[in-house]
Amino acid sequence: MSAGLMTGTSAIPTAPASDARSWWQIKQRLTPWLFLSPYFILTCVFFIYPVFYALVLAFFQTNGVASRKFIGLNNFTTILADRDFWTAMKNTTVFAIFSTCLQLPISLGLAMLLNRRGSRLKGIFRLAIFSPHLVGQVFVGVMFTMFFTPKYGLFNQFLQMLLGWVQGPHAESFLEYRWLGNENLVMPAIIIATMWMYVGFNMIYFLAALQNVDQSLIEAARIDGANSWQQFLNVTLPAIKPVATFVVVMSTIGSYNLFELPYTLLQGFGPNNSGMTVVGYMYSNGFSGGDIGYGAAVGWILTLVILSINLVQLKLSGTGKE
Amino acid sequence: MARYPYGPAALVILLIIVFVGPWIFYQESQARKEKADLIFAIFSKDHKDAYTPAIAEFEKENNVHVQLQLVGARALNQRLQAALQVDADVPDMVELLNGSMGTFTSGPLKDIKFMDLTEKIKSAGLLERLVPSRLTIWSSRGHIYALPHDVHPVMLSYRQDTVDKLGIDVSKLTTWAEFTRVGREITNGKNAKGADGGTNHYMIDLDAAGGDFSRVILLQAGGGFFDKDNHVVFDNDIARDVVTWYVRQTQNPGTGAPTRIATAAGWGQTLTQNILDERVLFIITPDWRTKALEMDVGQAEGKMRLMPLPEWTPGGIRTSTWGGTGMAFPKSCRNFDLAWKLAQKLYYKNTDLEKRFSRLNILPPVTDAWNLPEYDRARPYWGGQKLGRLYAGLAPNAPPEIFNAFTPQAVAKFGEALANTGTFYQTYGETRKLPDGTTETMDQYAATELKRCADYIRDRMARNVFLNDTATADAETPAVGGAAEGEAK
Repeated sequence: MSAGLMTGTSAIPTAPASDARSWWQIKQRLTPWLFLSPYFILTCVFFIYPVFYALVLAFFQTNGVASRKFIGLNNFTTILADRDFWTAMKNTTVFAIFSTCLQLPISLGLAMLLNRRGSRLKGIFRLAIFSPHLVGQVFVGVMFTMFFTPKYGLFNQFLQMLLGWVQGPHAESFLEYRWLGNENLVMPAIIIATMWMYVGFNMIYFLAALQNVDQSLIEAARIDGANSWQQFLNVTLPAIKPVATFVVVMSTIGSYNLFELPYTLLQGFGPNNSGMTVVGYMYSNGFSGGDIGYGAAVGWILTLVILSINLVQLKLSGTGKE
Repeated sequence: MARYPYGPAALVILLIIVFVGPWIFYQESQARKEKADLIFAIFSKDHKDAYTPAIAEFEKENNVHVQLQLVGARALNQRLQAALQVDADVPDMVELLNGSMGTFTSGPLKDIKFMDLTEKIKSAGLLERLVPSRLTIWSSRGHIYALPHDVHPVMLSYRQDTVDKLGIDVSKLTTWAEFTRVGREITNGKNAKGADGGTNHYMIDLDAAGGDFSRVILLQAGGGFFDKDNHVVFDNDIARDVVTWYVRQTQNPGTGAPTRIATAAGWGQTLTQNILDERVLFIITPDWRTKALEMDVGQAEGKMRLMPLPEWTPGGIRTSTWGGTGMAFPKSCRNFDLAWKLAQKLYYKNTDLEKRFSRLNILPPVTDAWNLPEYDRARPYWGGQKLGRLYAGLAPNAPPEIFNAFTPQAVAKFGEALANTGTFYQTYGETRKLPDGTTETMDQYAATELKRCADYIRDRMARNVFLNDTATADAETPAVGGAAEGEAK
């Protein structure tokens, strides 16, 4: 192609050659876009459009798709003035704090135990600890409903066996504890159930991070006289910090999105809405109540809350700077 | 590489698209060809078992094909809601759980996607045959949108050998006051605690959180969440009395003698164990629950008995209602006449109802069916009691229940008032001293809580622009049985 052009013996061949070159250039430019187009189309249809449509809906009161009326900011003002919303927000925040503060250290501890050299049963334990995550929140909810049953449930039997002897004759037996019927025990019950489910999942992230820690650094610290705690604090922890930040952020997002497990566990929201989460509140108003606009407004408020918390977390951890 | 300029992966993806696309298209077209004359969606496996032989007969008689789809109750409700909203394909007929109709009828009448059956029910003579209170569940603003499947009157079930052993004379348990008096002796008297510190016997199965149990009592007492004009009424004196009574039976007071006689016996295996261990004596038992007990607590065969609920007020009704199923027809139903015919066979044809009762123990709402021999059959499981006759005797008194789109929230708010009153009772007992030196009784506190919660629902309803627009919107809708497109004739 280039030979013909270079010699310039005839002007006629140059036109097709130029066409071919421009076609080639167009093709070169189009090709990546064509490959990316399925992803872009799916993202636009199933993510970007719904997100913006939800933003529009948040300013309407709806009764199905056909009936809707513009009400401005009324959805947002009603939500923020609703005591139930703040109950749900409080419950979710309490859950997020406790589940993150309890789950992640346990996950890290288990990961460190499984990261030790020479442990032959490592694979079996890893699978055993991770496997609760595979069964799904609804299953865990149903199973823990049985575990928390008064008199016959595993937890009450265990508590009675362990602590029954310390109780006075007039105290309520541990066997009679109504975990799911007492508003003060509902949140601990949810935290226990989710912990069983997610500890193994987070452990896998930590385990992967620990396996990538440069052993020569730990060796050097040991030679320099650092004890195990100092090695962990000054070498291991900084090395796994990006993963730890990721796990904290994902756990927080997951905590604020909690819905199925407490809803199944409590067959609703528990006494006095003590198990109602923000997503539960959204479901109750948006789907059961039939006002999708209100649900969309709750969804946007929740998005802003999660975004703010995550920005603070990233700022505190200094990950953004790195 | 030259043959596949974008690499073999792209070729494989292309080939998958080329082959899978037509295959999906072919499958879809085949499915369309095989489409049934009627698609009927239900949520209960027991109903499926009962309907399958009847539908087979119906198919033979009418030379049609009916597809019965079993979908989980919650999934059915939500999928139907979503599909109706966007006018997607929906079944020709569908069974709904009580309460769910409120979601479908929350807007102006013209927007309701189910057929208005009011005139059809009248012209078919069903108004005379059906228990009137059962139509309220499926009605909205005077229009009926589903056929009632049942009445679900409520009784108390118990083990005869257990009450005999404990010296309880059930014939004297005619009022709740007497029932609770006996219950306190059983639950809190001498030898009430076992060696493990647990309570040996609870008089009755009531969940402290309220839920369906408190609703049963509320309805029996003559209360409810809404009146027939959809006004919120769960802050009246009846509701207050029910809340304080319920709290006393499910909690012990902060000060004073223990009053609790109830525990939540649970469901399935837990309930079975509670009955077998004689830990819970009386179980609130609507007709549908008798079948569950027969299945789950087979070991108690011959020992179980039924008795009417004790009276709430002197001369008051001795039953309540719990649950309900109805059959609705979306306006997009392809063959309403055929669907209606099938509905009549499944719900109101006496010969079929006899078989259905023997299989499900569910009393139909058709009063003339109650004279069939099956309803007088002695049941060995129930010590020879005539189950059908017992429930049929109470069914005419089953209280009406009003549902609308705000019912789930009203139920939750009632539960909130109940829970807060429970906390008051657990903390202070019957009375507390206020900082200004005055006292507040639990009754006063419960009334305040109920008012606060009822006002919340009133505010929610007032905020609903569609309900407030009803007058305008409904003016465009023809009167009952009018000529609106898609309405049943």
